[in-house]
Formats: sequence, structure tokens, C-alpha cells
Amino acid sequence: MSGKMRILTSLIVIAIVAVVSGVWIIRGPGPLDFAGGPKVALADYRAGKPTGVPAKLEKASLVERGEYLAKAADCMVCHTKPGEKDYSGGLAFKLPFGTLYSTNITPDKDTGIGNYSDQDFLGAVQHGKRRDGARLYPAMPYTSYTFMTDEDVLAVKAYLFSLPAVRAKAPDNTLSFPFNQRWAMLFWSAVFNPDTRFAPDTSKSPEWNRGAYLAEALAHCGECHTPRNLGFALDNRKKFAGAITAGWRAFNISSDKATGLGSWRDEDLISYLSLGHAPGHGSASGPMGEAVDHSFSQFAPEDISSIVAYLRSVPPVPSPDLPATTAPVGPASHKDGVTADARGKKVFASACASCHGWSGESPVSPMATLTGTWAVNDPAATNVAQIVISGTKRHTPDGALSMPAFGNAYSDDEIAAVANYVTARFGAKGSKLTAKDVAGLREQTAE
Amino acid sequence: MHMATTLTINGETKSFDAPPDMPLLWVLRDILGMTGTKFGCGIAQCGACTVHVDGKAVRSCVLPVSSVANRAITTIEHVGSTPAGAKVQKAWLDAEVVQCGYCQSGQIMAAAALLAATPNPDDSDIDAAMAGNICRCGTYVRIREAIKHAANGQS
Repeated sequence: MSGKMRILTSLIVIAIVAVVSGVWIIRGPGPLDFAGGPKVALADYRAGKPTGVPAKLEKASLVERGEYLAKAADCMVCHTKPGEKDYSGGLAFKLPFGTLYSTNITPDKDTGIGNYSDQDFLGAVQHGKRRDGARLYPAMPYTSYTFMTDEDVLAVKAYLFSLPAVRAKAPDNTLSFPFNQRWAMLFWSAVFNPDTRFAPDTSKSPEWNRGAYLAEALAHCGECHTPRNLGFALDNRKKFAGAITAGWRAFNISSDKATGLGSWRDEDLISYLSLGHAPGHGSASGPMGEAVDHSFSQFAPEDISSIVAYLRSVPPVPSPDLPATTAPVGPASHKDGVTADARGKKVFASACASCHGWSGESPVSPMATLTGTWAVNDPAATNVAQIVISGTKRHTPDGALSMPAFGNAYSDDEIAAVANYVTARFGAKGSKLTAKDVAGLREQTAE
Repeated sequence: MHMATTLTINGETKSFDAPPDMPLLWVLRDILGMTGTKFGCGIAQCGACTVHVDGKAVRSCVLPVSSVANRAITTIEHVGSTPAGAKVQKAWLDAEVVQCGYCQSGQIMAAAALLAATPNPDDSDIDAAMAGNICRCGTYVRIREAIKHAANGQS
């Protein structure tokens, strides 16, 4: 080899090493690597059964088991456009680089998945590969579903195929270059899809393993609650540390005491997941409200407890922008406390005070209490503005309690003003939203 | 799904069957026949349906009946027997506040709750308590005047 060739070869080797280690560094750990214990193949795990359905459904039909798992994986919320038939697709995901539409996963042969074989379906759910060979965008959380067992994925398929076929073609995606190059997802997938089934950790309890399977393979909590890396994949170095998804803030659900779930009691977590509300912690709204309504509220109680046991084990990662403690109850009189934003106060007096009270403790229902929630203690006021724009509705065993959507009644300027007033009065630090910020939040919500 | 429900309204115990998420306003008007409380917007933005729950002014059109069991509900039919309510009603008549009248049950309920909590309200207190009660006839000036008269005990 000549000197030049040797230099060239060395440069190529160095470049490859640099790219590989760069990719390796960006990719970071997998979602379950933090647990650290020895893992065994599912077939060799004897301590319990982390996969499948809860005991009460063990004898149920394949379709019924699939229904439970489809709800646990929350397929419907993304695969249904509001007002359209369940699972018929067409929900728009507005991304910074264009809009993606969810697909029809009813068994319609032309516009749905009616022609999918078992292998085709496994390919889509676990590997991100469509029946025609094209790659799926990771808005479909196949990097999470890849941990599902074949048996569970196919139970979901049996359930979907038991539903009425709906003829509905989703609009074409409007992604810009280079994001419209589907083939490139092949490389993305090679780097970021672990493409492996769930393997129990023998150093952990059976309950933890069940929780890990539910949270990672099915409920895909990290897809909203874990920040993304340079490659728009989950950055598990900051696992569950919170992120903005579809214009809403998914808060920190790591075990951090101050800004995560570390100081929540078990019963608070159970109540929040199964009812969408925990006293003193507020009510689930936006995407989490949907997750509760369509998914977590349908979980068996022992499955909710397993998720709680799992969440407890996720290492603490603080959210530096959140206050160490949430603000206490506000003063009873409108005159006391922060009144910097006169316009915000006017809007609050006419539209908000009658349900939320001047103290932030609702005279109507604990579910409408603002005090103690992260939404009002977030100095970015993201979720306050979003709830004002789109309203919220909580279903409870006693019926629904709802807040109307004010997005069409108030201008961006008014919504910014009231969000700034609310966060200053009831939170630790007031926000500084502008009308432009509110317009931006309206743009990002899925519809 | 209907459920046997018992509420304490105007000091009396009322039992009826209603779905748990039926708004209190519907129960009052349609089931109990208490039509003094008015339906305005149905989304808590106009104040016509205001009643008191444990003495606080709330919008009954968005309040599921299941959330007010075991709490004291007062409506326009009974507010005149509370000290603040009696003063407000007298002042309303003296100041000829009412024009078409549709919003006035709500206005009176909001004003009575204000005076019960803040016996001598200034303009900003009145703004803070009354801003959510809308009047298409524009009786706001007389409302403010009547609240001040009621507070001062003038007539």
C-alpha cells in the first residue's frame, strides 16, 4: 500500500469510527437499560407473567384479550380523527417540518389494513415496516411496540379485524424535504429501533416487570414524557424528564422529588392514572386526558399498581425550569396577590373566577382546583394556555365535569394575558406569554 | 343511567332520579320546576344560571348534579331570606335595575354572594365578582349603584 493509500484508508477508518461513535453517543441507552439487572428471555422467566392480559381476562377470547391490549397501547386516540369512526385514521400531527396523518387501521381492504397478514402486521407494529415495504415514520411508536410479544401484537390484530371495516383514506402527508424521504427511515430505524422483544429483569419483582412491559411496550409513556435527541428519537439519558409534545407539556414523571413524581403518594398516582385526577395535583387534560379516558381508565387495578411500581424505579432527573415547590393556595380576595396583568385579571374575572375561585381552590369541584398543579407552576404556561384554548373534560364514575373551550371566544392576546395572570397568581413564577406564543401553541395541537 | 339523588336546596331536602352528570341547572328547572334560575349560554360564560353552593356563586349550567350532593344550594327563589339577598333585592327594586330581566336572577345571586363575603365592596370588588354576569340590556350602571346602596343600607 502506498503512503497516500495508507493515509486515505486511515482517514476513512477514522471517519467511520467517528460516525459510528457519534451515532452511538446520540442513540444513548435503551428505555430499560437504567434497571441494570440481569435479563432473561421471556420464555425462561418463571417468576411471573409480565406480558399479555390481567388474570381476569386470561380465559377470555382472543378478540377480548386484543381489545384490552389495544386499549393499553392506546391505538385509538391517534388512529381516530375527532368526530370520525373509531380507528379510521386521519388525525393530523403537526410537526415543525410538515403534517403527518394517521392511517386507517380498520379491516377495510382498500383503505385500511384488511389485507395485512399476521407477518405484515408484526412488521408494521414491531419493525415500522408497511405491508408494501415502505417505512413508517416514528410518529407511530413502533420503537416502543417492538417490545410487545408476537402473541400480544396478534391479539391486537384480531381485535382490530373484529371491528367494522371503514372506508376512509387519510390525506397525504405534507412533509418537507428531506423528511418526505420515507426510505431514509430505514437508517433511522436501524439506529433507533431496538427491534427486540421485552426481556424481564430478574433482579426486579414480577410486579415491576409487568409495569415495565405495560409502560414501555404498550402505554409508550416515553413517547411524550422523554425528551428527544438530535435524531428525534427518545433520549433515555433523560428518561421521563418531560418534553413538549403536540403543543402540550408532558411533565416530568421520573422519580425526582421536587419536579417529578417522587413526592406523589401511591394513591395519588393510582387515582391520576385511573381517574385522571389526584387531589392537589390537578386533572389530566389534553393528550394525557385522552390517554386516561381511552387507555389507563380501562386498565385492571393490578396493572395500574404495576405501572406505579415501575415509575417509582425510574432514576430522578430534575426539570431545572420548574420550581422546587408548587405555590400555596392564593389569597381569597382579588385585591391581594399578584395583579400585574390588568387585562389578564379582567379575563379571569369574567371567564374563570366563577369556577376556579380567586384563591385557585375551586368552589365547584376539587377537579377544577388550580393550586398545586404543574400547569400553573410552569413558568412557560404551556398547558394553561392550551386548556384555555381547547377546554378539558374529565370522565369520572359520577359523570363528566368539563371546562368549555375558550379558544374561539378570546384572542391570542387575551389568552396570553390570562395565562400570565393565572401563573403569576397561582404558580411559583408568572409566565411571559405573548399573542405570538399562543398562536404558535394553537398551530402545534394535533387535530 | 338514572340514579336516586338527594340534594339540599334552599334548606329543603329534595330527592329525584337523574343521571349523575346532569347539570344542576337542568335538575332545578326541568325536574324540580324551579324556573327562577335561567338558562343562558350553557357554557359558564354568561352568568344567567348563577346559584349559591355553600354560599359561593357558581354557574349551575356546568355543574354536574353528582358534585353538589351534601352541599347547601341556594337559588333565586330563596335568596331573599338571606340577609344579603334581602338587601340586594330591595336595592334592585329601589334602583329599578331590571330592564328585560332575563339575566337578573344571576345578577342578584352574584351580588348577594359578593355582599355576604364583602359587606362594603368598592368598584374593583364589584368588577371582580360581577364581571362574569352579562346583561344584554346594559344595566351595569344601575347594578353597581344598587350593590352600593344595598351595602350602605340606603334605599
